[in-house]
Amino acid sequence: MAYGTVNADVVQSSVSGVSLGAGNATLMKNRIINGAMVIDQRNAGASVTVSTATYCVDRWGFSGSQASKFTAQQNAGSVTPPVGFSNYWGLTTISPVSLASGDYFVAYQVIEGYNVADFGWGTANAKTVTISAWVYSSLTGTFGGSLRSSTNNYSYPFTYSIPVANTWTQISITIPGATSSTWNTTNGQGILVNFALGVGSTYSGTAGSWSANNYLSATGATSVVSTNGATFYITGVQLEVGSSATGFEYRQYQQELALCQRYLYRLTPNGTTTGFISTVGFGSSTNGFASGQFPQIMRTTPSLALDNGASVGSFAIYTTNGGNYGTLSSISINGVSCPSFYLVNLGFPSTSGAGGGQIGYLCTNVTASYSIQFSAEL
Amino acid sequence: MYKLIKNPITGQSDVVINLLTNVSFPFDPDNTDYQAYLKWLEAGNTPLPADTGA
Repeated sequence: MAYGTVNADVVQSSVSGVSLGAGNATLMKNRIINGAMVIDQRNAGASVTVSTATYCVDRWGFSGSQASKFTAQQNAGSVTPPVGFSNYWGLTTISPVSLASGDYFVAYQVIEGYNVADFGWGTANAKTVTISAWVYSSLTGTFGGSLRSSTNNYSYPFTYSIPVANTWTQISITIPGATSSTWNTTNGQGILVNFALGVGSTYSGTAGSWSANNYLSATGATSVVSTNGATFYITGVQLEVGSSATGFEYRQYQQELALCQRYLYRLTPNGTTTGFISTVGFGSSTNGFASGQFPQIMRTTPSLALDNGASVGSFAIYTTNGGNYGTLSSISINGVSCPSFYLVNLGFPSTSGAGGGQIGYLCTNVTASYSIQFSAEL
Repeated sequence: MYKLIKNPITGQSDVVINLLTNVSFPFDPDNTDYQAYLKWLEAGNTPLPADTGA
């Protein structure tokens, strides 16, 4: 039937303790953040050449044993996404590799321990989970991936099929809960979800069972990195409790952005040259501080980095009366920063003319909208 | 190469900057940049000292 009513307040699933209720029981069923690849704070849709541990669209990273073999981009190739989606994440081989045993090239997301604590992994009550996604490749065949613990020594390789090239395929893999190993349940690395793009024998294992090894893929899986120009696109990634994939959990844009900002916050100017970034207090003629509140409590005290292409010279200090005290000589996070607020050390030339106790603002000094990034990624 | 940064507020060298990437980070065990720094130290490396008088 097209539509029906379940005459009950609770529908119990086959998984103990997992049920659908009369309320909004499916809220946050998807433990993947940015599974629809909507948020791209770092690159805003631009293509980047990726190497080891490069974050691309928010929360999604790429890791490779060799640098500069792939480009990664939100909506790479501009194909039509699957029905119901507006974005996807695309990786393209730009320099083919004949895999050696120790090679690995994977697209991944590390899920924070807090967000999978209810899985009960590492105990006798470990819950079965299902990972689902839409995938698209210029290649066909059996592709691989894995779920892995943060201890790097317990993993579950899996396979899925892409039978038709350049066509979106919906995949679903059900994985029994891990009853062994140690799984972080706080703000550390909970579960690593890998989609393999080419993995050598050292990191490949038999699909379909847990193993006390650091496996990133299944033995014999298709190697995207081995074909120049080969593509792998993915969206609609969902990891949920249960033995069946359910409909993708859509989130409002602001909700998804807020989830992402726990791991990356960009202090963005309101424009290019002289674009305001933050207020500044001058401690002396050579140093000052910028401070503010993070929009979300970050996972941990973050690192500070500048946008790609920016340097300290891309920023300047102005006083409130419009006096330009020139470009910065240094910028770094202050040790008293914490997950809820930042304090940034600023250094400038002794010839600045500024004095302790004055106030001003930090701004861009070039015709580019460079941001200051705070990263607490896993 | 890493360099220690003296915190003008605490007076301690409690921040490190990676001079190759210009990423600075605090001494936070949960911070992955700090975790990488600890491995670098374990390999026998030594950071540049903090500037004096900062």
